[in-house]
Amino acid sequence: MMLYGPLAAWLAVSFFGPYDVTQGIYSKLLYIHVPTVWVAYLGYTLTFIYSVFYFFTKKQKYDSLAVANAKSGVIFTIVTLLAGSFWGKQTWGTWWVWGDARLNLTAILLLVYLGYIASRQFNKDLAKTAKNSSFIGIFGVIQIPILHFSVIWWRSVHQQASILSQETVASGDAPMSVDILTTLLISVLLVTLVHIFLSKIFRISNDILWDNYLNPKSRAKI
Amino acid sequence: MKKNFIIVLLGIGLIIYASTIIASRNTIYYYTTSETENIEITTNERIKLGGFVVEDSVSQEDGFTVFTITDGNKDIEIVFDGFIPELFQENMGVILDGVLDSDIFFADDMLVKHDNEYVSSDGETYDVKSYSK
Repeated sequence: MMLYGPLAAWLAVSFFGPYDVTQGIYSKLLYIHVPTVWVAYLGYTLTFIYSVFYFFTKKQKYDSLAVANAKSGVIFTIVTLLAGSFWGKQTWGTWWVWGDARLNLTAILLLVYLGYIASRQFNKDLAKTAKNSSFIGIFGVIQIPILHFSVIWWRSVHQQASILSQETVASGDAPMSVDILTTLLISVLLVTLVHIFLSKIFRISNDILWDNYLNPKSRAKI
Repeated sequence: MKKNFIIVLLGIGLIIYASTIIASRNTIYYYTTSETENIEITTNERIKLGGFVVEDSVSQEDGFTVFTITDGNKDIEIVFDGFIPELFQENMGVILDGVLDSDIFFADDMLVKHDNEYVSSDGETYDVKSYSK
């Protein structure tokens, strides 16, 4: 219920929200594309922090938190790619631009974290798995600054950032109408809530794996 | 399985290495119109050219769409034959794929590059001063 509330509110806000008059109604995909990629960044950053904690403390709760944030991050990365691709078809005139730095790097970000999730299956010993995965969780985060600044460093078909740009942050003005900006910020808040509850579900399932690993006898009796 | 883990690490290393190579090769995804004066291209070499569509320049001739793009300094005439995205219009940024032949660019692929402005029906962007009073 805690998950479906923000999820429904987010979809409603996106559906009924204002849109850019030049781009037409498909510019409402802004409320899907931007919040999901921000929250994916957030998830992977938390995966990085908890992976570092796990690596040094070897406490199972940090591993569960790292996995949960990575799984949720992967879901939001897929959503941002789908929404972005659909928007690209309506605006640029194509689903995907091969050779564009921003687009390729996002696809690679998804592949690396799919690799992180796959790495959970490679060892029956959960403690070794957790240690191995924490490496990917720690090094994978390097991609986020590269991805975010890719539109500044390399000439891209993708537009510059509207909100998280030096210009917007320094001046306080945004290249957006107030109603669009407000709707976007509400979407970001709602997607963050979705992420919190989604990652909690993933965390619980990973806690069960750890419980089975640490207390095998208590399970055998049942 | 330690072996599997090494394979995954190698895979991820390879992916990150490849992405840097891909990205650095595409430091210039497209050329601006002014840059065409300085680049060395052989005849019939395909390049990508970006610019803004000049007002009142779009016309139809013999089934081709003819228009002019500019980066503010240099105009180039475009002869286009291909799929035109719905958002194509005057003053819009476009990226074209084709061949430059004596100052006329023959293109058959177009992308519309929209900027980062989102303006709803109220017609104004957010200005911090008018809201902080």
